[in-house]
Amino acid sequence: MSPLEIGALIGIVTLLVLASGVPIAFGLGFVSLAFLLIFEGPGGLVFVGELLFSYLADFTLVAIPMFIVMGAAVASSPAGADLYTVLERWLGRVPGGLVISNIGACTIFSALSGSSPATCAAIGKMGIPEMRKRGYPAGLASGAIAAGGTLGILIPPSVTMIVYGIATGTSIGRLFLSGLLPGLLLTALFIAWALYYSRARGSAGSALAGRRYTWAEKFGPLPRVLPFFLIVAGILYVLYGGIATPSEAAGVGAMLCLAFVAIVYRQWQPKRIGLIFRSSMRESVMIMMIIAASGLFAYTLSSLFVTQSVAETIASLEVNRWVLMGIINVFLLVAGFFLPPVAVILMTAPILLPIVNGAGFDPYWFAVIMTVNLEIGLITPPVGLNLYVINGIVPDVSLQTVLRGALPFVIMMVIGIVLLSVFPGIVTWLPDLLMGPA
Amino acid sequence: MELVVRAVRRLSGFFGIVAAVCLGAACIAVCHMVFVRYVLGASTIWQTEFVLYSVVAATLIGSPYVLAMRGHVNVDLVSHYLGPRARKVLQLFASTLGIVFCVVVAWSGGRYFLEAWTEGWVTESVWAPPLSIILLPLPLGLGLLVLQYLVDIACLITGFEPDDLPDTPPEPPG
Repeated sequence: MSPLEIGALIGIVTLLVLASGVPIAFGLGFVSLAFLLIFEGPGGLVFVGELLFSYLADFTLVAIPMFIVMGAAVASSPAGADLYTVLERWLGRVPGGLVISNIGACTIFSALSGSSPATCAAIGKMGIPEMRKRGYPAGLASGAIAAGGTLGILIPPSVTMIVYGIATGTSIGRLFLSGLLPGLLLTALFIAWALYYSRARGSAGSALAGRRYTWAEKFGPLPRVLPFFLIVAGILYVLYGGIATPSEAAGVGAMLCLAFVAIVYRQWQPKRIGLIFRSSMRESVMIMMIIAASGLFAYTLSSLFVTQSVAETIASLEVNRWVLMGIINVFLLVAGFFLPPVAVILMTAPILLPIVNGAGFDPYWFAVIMTVNLEIGLITPPVGLNLYVINGIVPDVSLQTVLRGALPFVIMMVIGIVLLSVFPGIVTWLPDLLMGPA
Repeated sequence: MELVVRAVRRLSGFFGIVAAVCLGAACIAVCHMVFVRYVLGASTIWQTEFVLYSVVAATLIGSPYVLAMRGHVNVDLVSHYLGPRARKVLQLFASTLGIVFCVVVAWSGGRYFLEAWTEGWVTESVWAPPLSIILLPLPLGLGLLVLQYLVDIACLITGFEPDDLPDTPPEPPG
């Protein structure tokens, strides 16, 4: 069999194995073992334990559990409520301010917590009922929260970006900076749609504008929210300055957030701290096992010369690079419908990156494009996690309504991808400015 | 049999706690490392390896708990559309794939561990801790995964539903 045929076979077998419902980590591991056994004989299996261990024993990976702890600390505190309150009090009287403050709160909170479902729950619980009370349609209200919650994997600090950095050997500090402006662009597009739609429907909520807040009320919760921004800004500063490694920055950030949550929100009880660590452990184990198994998967692909042959074949086809990028986008979009972002990145990056590089695309720009594609998968069926979370917090809104409300935001994300393709500077300008050209 | 199921789940739960403690220890050690390196300006000896291998240990020995809690993410789309009988068959098939992987890695990891143990290998740092201690979580975690898979399969076949391990995520108060 030629490497290309083996590659196609691995692709089909992987799809079938994963469709059985086996955990992604073990499914990828199983496929790797099976192909190593068939094509390299039993001798190839002796070292899988060693290989798996070597993929885990990478100091860069330490940043992942640390950022997860940081996010869990923020998500377990009432910081989401405070954030929402702050934005609502400041923007509540601006036309459409309620939508702006909801999407804004989602953007900030998902960046801080790094978790889409936690964001939808924290902001949606207050935001959706409030928006509906003021006359916004249920679909728009829930769609806005679902879409806003996806931004956390793009806006730094993002575990998804770290995983891309590890899978492709790119700079994590630079990836973080690359995601910032595109994340804000998507936020702006989401707000634009929400405002346009509520105007067109004549339900901008102006008749039922929020009440007036005193300056004391406006400034009251601010000191409880600002430190989180300072922590994130500090992390970005030390990363792009090359002062500390991502793992160090993440570890200190996690401890600061924990300490802050313990002191300001009085969440110091050992039981609560224990819960934060248990849920972080759970999430990080899940991601780290996928990382280890995809290491094995990538090893199998390259020792059977699949990776190299695919890249060579595609390079020899000489298709237009934008046609190629279009095909890659569709492929990622479909993969994102079924698989979580981290798994898609780990499984496809080793194959896609040489192709993308060969076609002359910037790997940092591609990281952003890839992430936006995968964000779409979070709010589309069949596995769009955010949709189900929202369905859980506002059970009287049907899943169909949530879905229909989220669809225009999917279109906004596609427009975002087109804009980023036409103006790649939105991605590269900030990292080039702060870190010099790549 | 129910006794065995409960015992294995307890064991997974216990190592889940150990894994969470490893993660906490790693967080504290990172901060200590940053303090020593950037504030005191001294060089660190044990911190980097301690942090790294604590996180690795947490991943490997926390994995059986995560399996017991169905926390390893999967694609459960197909089983969603199947009848109860077909779903059971598919789940058995999926569990078999998973357990095969775990058995092979546990065996291979066990060999690696024993080699490090008998040869008395240490890591290549100033601190030089024994490699066998660092590698122990590999056969231990994967071995426990095999056990956890076995009781899961037993539960699938007999239809026994074990009482759940504690698993509530920390919600914001109020």
